[in-house]
Amino acid sequence: MLKTALAGLRAHKLRLLLTGLAITLGVGFIAGTFVLTDTIDKGVDETFARSAGKVDLAVVPKSGPDEKGVPVGVLAKVRGVPGVTEAQGLIDGNAPLLGRNGKALGDMPTAAKTVPSGRLLRYEVDKGRVPSGPNEVVLDSRTAEREKFGVGQAVTVLDHRDRPRRFTVVGLLDFGIDADASTRGAVGFDPATAVRMTGAKTFGEIDVVGGDRAAVARAAGGAQDVLTGEELAAKLARSAGADTKMIRAGLLVFGVVAMLVSALVIYNTFSILIAQRMREMALLRCVGATRRQVFGSVLAESVVVGLVGSLLGLVVGLGLGAGALALFNLLGAHLPETGATLAPRTVAVGLLVGVLVTVVSAVLPARAATRIAPVAALRSDLEPGTGRFRLGWPRTVAAAFFLLLGAAIGGFGTFGMKKGDIAMYVVAAAGTVFFLGVIILMPALVRPLSRLVGALPGKVGGVPARLAVANAQRAPRRTATTTIALTVGVGLMSLFAVVAASGKAMSNAQMDKQFPVDFQVQAQFKADGKEHRVPHALAQALRQRPEFSTVIEARGKETEAGREKVDVTTLSDGALGTVIKPTFKSGSAGAFKPGTALTDAFTAEALHVKTGDTVRISTRQGAVPVRIAGVYGADVPLSGLLVPDADFDRYFDVRDPTSIYAKTRDGVDAAAARQAIEDAARPYPTAQIGSQAEMREQISEAVDMILMIFGGLLGLAVIIALFGIANTLTLSVVERTRESALLRALGLTRRQLRRMLSVEALVMAVIGAFTGVVLGIGFGWAATTAMSENSVFTVPFGQIAGFIVLAGLAGMLAAVLPARRAAKASIVESLAHD
Amino acid sequence: MTSTFAAPPPAGGTPAAAPPAVEAVQVSKVYGAGDAAVHALRGVGVGFARGAFTAIMGPSGSGKSTLMHCLAGLDTVTEGRVRIGDAEITGMSDKQLTMLRRERVGFVFQAFNLLPTLTAEQNILLPLELAGRKPDRAWFDQVVDVVGLRDRLGHRPAELSGGQQQRVACARALVARPEVIFADEPTGNLDSRAGAEVLGFLRSSVREMGRTIVMVTHDPVAASYADRVVFLRDGRIVTELFQPTPDTVLDRLKSLGG
Repeated sequence: MLKTALAGLRAHKLRLLLTGLAITLGVGFIAGTFVLTDTIDKGVDETFARSAGKVDLAVVPKSGPDEKGVPVGVLAKVRGVPGVTEAQGLIDGNAPLLGRNGKALGDMPTAAKTVPSGRLLRYEVDKGRVPSGPNEVVLDSRTAEREKFGVGQAVTVLDHRDRPRRFTVVGLLDFGIDADASTRGAVGFDPATAVRMTGAKTFGEIDVVGGDRAAVARAAGGAQDVLTGEELAAKLARSAGADTKMIRAGLLVFGVVAMLVSALVIYNTFSILIAQRMREMALLRCVGATRRQVFGSVLAESVVVGLVGSLLGLVVGLGLGAGALALFNLLGAHLPETGATLAPRTVAVGLLVGVLVTVVSAVLPARAATRIAPVAALRSDLEPGTGRFRLGWPRTVAAAFFLLLGAAIGGFGTFGMKKGDIAMYVVAAAGTVFFLGVIILMPALVRPLSRLVGALPGKVGGVPARLAVANAQRAPRRTATTTIALTVGVGLMSLFAVVAASGKAMSNAQMDKQFPVDFQVQAQFKADGKEHRVPHALAQALRQRPEFSTVIEARGKETEAGREKVDVTTLSDGALGTVIKPTFKSGSAGAFKPGTALTDAFTAEALHVKTGDTVRISTRQGAVPVRIAGVYGADVPLSGLLVPDADFDRYFDVRDPTSIYAKTRDGVDAAAARQAIEDAARPYPTAQIGSQAEMREQISEAVDMILMIFGGLLGLAVIIALFGIANTLTLSVVERTRESALLRALGLTRRQLRRMLSVEALVMAVIGAFTGVVLGIGFGWAATTAMSENSVFTVPFGQIAGFIVLAGLAGMLAAVLPARRAAKASIVESLAHD
Repeated sequence: MTSTFAAPPPAGGTPAAAPPAVEAVQVSKVYGAGDAAVHALRGVGVGFARGAFTAIMGPSGSGKSTLMHCLAGLDTVTEGRVRIGDAEITGMSDKQLTMLRRERVGFVFQAFNLLPTLTAEQNILLPLELAGRKPDRAWFDQVVDVVGLRDRLGHRPAELSGGQQQRVACARALVARPEVIFADEPTGNLDSRAGAEVLGFLRSSVREMGRTIVMVTHDPVAASYADRVVFLRDGRIVTELFQPTPDTVLDRLKSLGG
């Protein structure tokens, strides 16, 4: 029996390939994910091993919640240990490098790195040499390239008090996969200069050459760990590995979606194949095969298909992984490109998933095969597809159950729950349940939907188009499964598009309503989480300029309220209620008097307070009681306890604001205002100026970027679904050989026959995409509503229409090969076809 | 079931004098090449008179279906020429052949004559629609009444009996008023009563409506409905018979050794 199955497969290599292709793509993606992350991991490990190999011992702070670093004093003690020939402390700090425009580079200051000379140098020198002395600096090669700084040039770096220091660039270094250097860029100094520039009191790590571990540990004291070079490499690699794990998990989610679509495609292909080979199956039964043997032969076939598809998938995965790595590096990432390999784990997972999904998808068709009566072998009038489909009561009940359950859970998540992440997850779960219902119901929807979708092509496309629309409806189950595979990808894409567009609209609406300022000035973020402030003098300077009508300073100080940490904030007098208008949930701005505070809903919850309650906050005058005068929604970028300006001055000795907001006077040109604010900020290189327009742009770009990445990853699921369409059409073409010949005899041209199949594919693709879009918009609305109180639901009609049009075009593309095949067939031979 | 067609009148003049509706001149058809070559037709020359009902007979493998396919422009000839009316179809492109079939040729096949997705009416009107021609409603009604399908027009093929399906096919061939109708074993799948009905329509469409029909069959009774029977053996025309009866046809077949 097994031989029969295998012989059948050998005889239909193309069929085998087409069926396996869906699996190949899915497995390819999953294997590619592993290849990519494995290669990154391996490269990271190797690099760390290489650099840590230069170190005999490393003194690092004991890991814990308040890891503080190794005190500077430890270095001298370690150097005093007998046998230690060399010891250097490595700095973990900031040294903002000024760009050619005199502004500190980036949103975050460039990292300060200690660059020792000799054996402990663990970075590669691309150009020039390592720095020595108080006036020399080396730059991260990529940072230098971006800013066009070269060896021999003079650059300015700010020290820890933001004072500008002039240095000469003596070298360009590759800081490798150092996380700080690759995200923020880096400047390197000799060890003494590094300490001076950063004002560091601690080292991130002390590297030691020579010496005895126990002796070094004694010298370093109990708060420190002493690691060997290998242990250090392992520790560094572990922290880097956490990132690849996240990437892997994220990518695998899309891999699972792709496999789900593959399963649908395979289920459908096998179902059609079984239907077409009914006579073959019946013949097997006639010559004595048992039901079990028929079942087994179909499953055996699926195992072979799964195996072949998965093996090809592993090859594809290897290519995908290597390709992705090259692409990322082309886009500016700095990933090690040591040969991509298939780990045994990757092979095992790929084969297992591929074969399992194929076999599971083939179980139902195999069962259908066993129900074929032997007498079917003798019947000659096997007309495929009557076009009738009755939603039997089990299906009706199941569909109703899932649809209602999905709607109920969705409704609860949307309206009945507290807004936030959890509500969104509930909506996502509801979407999955609802979708199950749609899968079950889909065969019944095929007719009405193809009438709807086919109305236009039927009008303009003439007889071939009308025949195509009729053909799309004739096997409702087949069409349903084919289209639903596409629904998955398009549905998720529309969902993301809706959520993204709504998110953008929400942030825009908030900016307009609650934060009508034109410019915002903030300091560079400090990488080490220290408070970063803009000089008060800048605010004063801006107040002198005629271009601005209002200048508001926002100040803040982290302190304690009871046992909770809390930010106490304030705004310049008169800002609240006039320029910045939060929406109050309880209390009001009117009750905002000395000795009171306003707070946002999140902080109120964290502190367990409501309007009228009193909290005690730690200030320089000791614990001070503050009465909550009101709680506002989370619709303003103001968090913590907001106290009156004068109170804040009494509580804390903090004059410099965290942000300055400026509103342009009416009639002042935007460019002129921008020039004015830049002039005022010139003495403060770390002050970053953002306009509201820029912020909107940035948010919009960030959201679009994420959407694009998601779209790209979901693209795979869509491509697999398109293979499904091509598969279904190819099999339909075979099935309708005689019918096509009749049409050709009656006067259908080859071109019309091709058009007929294109339109059929178009109708199927659009049905699938349309269903996906409807679901995506529906659940996009639910997710948006569940996300936040202030959500603004927006449908990106252009994008959504684009999805449908693209799906339609892609569907027609999928029809090209089957259509050519149909058109090439000889009429005479096809008429005799059986 | 007998009926009378009111219009159009039979074609004028004597059939023999007019140029043939379809003509094959020295037609050969070879499948494959070298030792594997199969000579399906070997220099067949035959004309089919306008307004006549001709049957092509012969034993299995005699080349009768191949001849029909070549005459109808479904297949190309290896040698020789084929004319339909004034059109020389040898050497026509696929597109030209398709247009020719659409405009001037009707078909009735043995089985799978109808598109399962279309109703009987849609099937009947299909060639006209493909050609983008407006159906002549009165003519359609007349044809439908003659084949007795008035109450079956909205049905799909799966809901019709075999005889009804063939009658729909006949109606389809008639409604476009083609120059010639090719019928390939039109009664092969029918019981004798349904077969007799279908053959009756074919004959009356020739006698009373002046249509030209070429029918391939291996059934002497079916052949006896024709005006003339052409006998094929081993790819050659060996003999012919005018005003056949089942008995004369059978005798002739026996003499051929079929």
